[in-house]
Amino acid sequence: MEKRPVRFSLKSLESAGLSARDLEIIVGGIEIPEVWEPLGPTPMPKIFMLRSWDFKLLNRYKPFYMPFCDQCCLCTYGKCDLTRGKRGSCGIDMPTQQGRIVVLACAIGTSTHTSHARHMLDRLIEKFGADTPINLGSDINVEMPNTRLVVGIKPKTLGDLSHVLSYVEEQIVQTISTTHTGQEASSLDYESKALHLGMLDHVAMEVADIAQIVAFNFPKGDPNTPLSEIGMGLIDVIKPMILLIGHNVSEGVEIIDYMRRNNLGKPGEILEVAGLCCTAHDITRYESSAKIIGPISHQIRFIRSGAADTLIIDEQCITNLSLIEAQKVKTPFIAVSDKAAYGLPDVSEWPVEKIVSSLTVGGLSGVFLPDLEKAAAVSVLTALQTAPLRQKFKVIPDIKELSTIASKCTHCGRCRRNCPIDLPVDDAVYSLRLGDSSKLAMLHDLCLGCGRCEWECPNHTPVLSLMMKAAEAKIKTEKYKIRVGRGPILDTEIREVGSPIVLGEIPGVVAFVGCANYPEGGLEVALMAREFARRRYIVTTSGCSAMSIAMYRNEEGLTPYEEFSGVFEAGGLVNVGSCVANAHISGAAIKIANIFARRPLRGNYEEIADYVLNRVGAVGVAWGAYSQKAASIATGFNRLGVPVILGPQGLKYRRMYLGRFEDKESFTVYDAKTGRRVWIGPAPEHLIISVENRKEAMVMIAKLCLRPNDTTRGRMIKLTHYIDLYKKIYGKLPEDIHLLVRSEADIPITFKDEVLSYLEKVGWKPWELPSIDPYYSENVFKKYYRGG
Amino acid sequence: MAVTPWQLGNIFGPRVAIQVKGDAAGRMIKAAKHPLLISGGNALKEMVGDKPYIEFIVELLKARSMPFIATGATYKDFVDRGLNPIKIMNAVEVVDRLRDSEWSIDGKDPHDLVVFAGLSYQYLSQLLSCIKHFATHLKTICLDRYYHPNADLSFPNLTEEQWIENLKLLLDNVKSR
Ligand code: SF4
Ligand code: SF4
Ligand code: SF4
Repeated sequence: MEKRPVRFSLKSLESAGLSARDLEIIVGGIEIPEVWEPLGPTPMPKIFMLRSWDFKLLNRYKPFYMPFCDQCCLCTYGKCDLTRGKRGSCGIDMPTQQGRIVVLACAIGTSTHTSHARHMLDRLIEKFGADTPINLGSDINVEMPNTRLVVGIKPKTLGDLSHVLSYVEEQIVQTISTTHTGQEASSLDYESKALHLGMLDHVAMEVADIAQIVAFNFPKGDPNTPLSEIGMGLIDVIKPMILLIGHNVSEGVEIIDYMRRNNLGKPGEILEVAGLCCTAHDITRYESSAKIIGPISHQIRFIRSGAADTLIIDEQCITNLSLIEAQKVKTPFIAVSDKAAYGLPDVSEWPVEKIVSSLTVGGLSGVFLPDLEKAAAVSVLTALQTAPLRQKFKVIPDIKELSTIASKCTHCGRCRRNCPIDLPVDDAVYSLRLGDSSKLAMLHDLCLGCGRCEWECPNHTPVLSLMMKAAEAKIKTEKYKIRVGRGPILDTEIREVGSPIVLGEIPGVVAFVGCANYPEGGLEVALMAREFARRRYIVTTSGCSAMSIAMYRNEEGLTPYEEFSGVFEAGGLVNVGSCVANAHISGAAIKIANIFARRPLRGNYEEIADYVLNRVGAVGVAWGAYSQKAASIATGFNRLGVPVILGPQGLKYRRMYLGRFEDKESFTVYDAKTGRRVWIGPAPEHLIISVENRKEAMVMIAKLCLRPNDTTRGRMIKLTHYIDLYKKIYGKLPEDIHLLVRSEADIPITFKDEVLSYLEKVGWKPWELPSIDPYYSENVFKKYYRGG
Repeated sequence: MAVTPWQLGNIFGPRVAIQVKGDAAGRMIKAAKHPLLISGGNALKEMVGDKPYIEFIVELLKARSMPFIATGATYKDFVDRGLNPIKIMNAVEVVDRLRDSEWSIDGKDPHDLVVFAGLSYQYLSQLLSCIKHFATHLKTICLDRYYHPNADLSFPNLTEEQWIENLKLLLDNVKSR
């Protein structure tokens, strides 16, 4: 059994011949970490240690609940009816139950990243050694800002990261135990626990990504990473293809290494290596000639296309249907993660040749093979040997079959009614019956690829296959370029943009992150990203959103990654990489506080979160968030003071954090210049909110970038974008400008006259103290207030 | 008509909406003391026969004057149709405030009835859930052609023809003396 480290910290130690300050000793593992900064108040915080910060946030941004069901069925007392004030047998009420569910969702999300990180790290330590240094090059000194901030250590080696994860793992267990029947009785306390988990999630993601960056030599923040190919157009490949789906790139790396060792060239020469979902991002970070098919929504359709000659499934954002779908097209299936073994036989002890022959000619459709080196050999050999046998066998109907299938459609509507986004599948299939395939072809761009319509149809209509056939010509043209995930933001970039961000002169940092549960297709994400990059916001992205952004061409035929630079600068479009690379986006916000403003990080969470909330105009947009991981990522951003906007499906997370501009007290902060309490207006107004459609999102993005610290010039620039977008969409001035304009100097020049006349109409007066040094936390304010 | 939600898997209960027809819905809106109408982005996409749903909403507002909030960035479309809605808000922001039993959009008496039209199904379903649990002083009614279990009153799932008929009945009842 692994020994967990025990941590002692001493403010000072005086002994014969020895004198030390801020000493930290960890027994049972390593290490006396380098003391590079004084230890802040909350290293390795336990659940309650940041509770007062959470309660501050939750006082301004109050939880807003929308139960997804009326009952609770989590124990054998239940089901308990919790409607309209009733309580369950354990005494829980509906708001508390919602907080509990949110904690469970965040615990699932955080555990998933943590177990991913643990799997990755343990393997890398075994392969490369615990002493492998964490060195991100001369442009990155603050290597792991989330880890420094939360855990309070400056990790030097992969071995150090193991202790970071041990802390996270222990906290997850502590937190999840609070959801047992009859435990926590306050929804606010549950929210504090959710925020705790969210914060831990960013640490776990950071560990996962930094470990793979240093061990696999992924790009270390290079703004000019190469462009890779992305798109469903790859169904046209002739060469044998290995397809990887999931999030853990370990197997992908083994495959590339195996190909290199065996003179099989780069992907695309003898063999195609392609990926779906985050594994795909990460393979291109290792070998940019690997290809990306697209986001999670393309899984079933691509498998059905028959292009893959071996399918490797690892973990996260995979579908339970992948084995069934692979069997339909005779694609050999290899499950490599113990998190998803699909009931398949464990063939770890079999020789490679036996596994390959079983999969190619032996009648075995799939295997569980967690030995990744062996799995790499098996995948490559299986793909090469099976390709001539299966001849890209697919289950997409031909034109004649199309009409036969469609002729059974009765237009009963059940497919639509089982579609998560209410797509008019019924009309589309029925139109095909009448000879028109255009409606089905259009659905291809909007469909989430979940397959629920097929399960509901009394005729078992293969809707997804019909869709692919109908959109065949278009799919073949779906070949785009994506800039390979670059990983962290450079310290040098932070130095350049720190000041304009904090002063508001760069109008905001907008992060398009998360999954593909889009209300109206991925195009909307590309359109939003492009709009804000053109407006010279800094646009960052990761995961499925980063892929959707690539799938667009401007008038000149360029994809957004070709149109905008990859630098973390005004007008840049920065793909950080897979979902775990989201830690670099929160990391960039933390680094602004540390590198630009010289705020100490070490165990100093509340101060940094206060800084980010008041001064860093960053906002996350998770337009198609569906997963529990997205819930914990968003909640982690929230604890750090970064607001998040969700697409309409986001309401199903059951909880928002909403501010109310009329609640002046909650938008009052401490001013360290004067020592006074100062109203700041609703900036930012909400911490997490789901909006109805893209137009609402555009306005909300611009608005949630406002911060109390904006200089007059900064506020003027931010308001220019807010008002301009608002006017374009609503045809009038926003009705809350008087809450956001502090002095006449804040008013955008372009809109000066109309804004002034509106302000006059509503009786606006210049604010008494427009320029302040804002702190929401009293603790942090006291540290910086030098007056009376 | 069977009591199933429009979204088949989205099953609610024990408390579910009473199904109403257009006449009862119309009487209810007419009799309410201070109703509030909230319409969403689908008002432009859904068709009532050959006209977009928004045309019906405009007609209803002309027949029964009541506070109105255009959500989903539809304000301009109402103005173009000669209507000046009093408020633009995001629907989540409105429902947040509706939990407060004293609140009304016009600062007058609190609302007693909230009428929803043209919000996307899942989005509205969640908002109605919030009101059902945490704004128990309010009655909610939904005029879309899909049954919404989380409302107090809702049309059942209707064919387009049935919906047109019910909306007409509703208007007739709102207009009747
Ligand atoms: S956990 Fe509580 S509310 Fe849930 S079923 Fe058990 S007793 Fe009922
Ligand atoms: S469920 Fe099947 S039969 Fe019914 S409308 Fe859809 S495709 Fe046609
Ligand atoms: S596969 Fe596509 S069309 Fe079918 S239910 Fe899922 S999202 Fe809707």
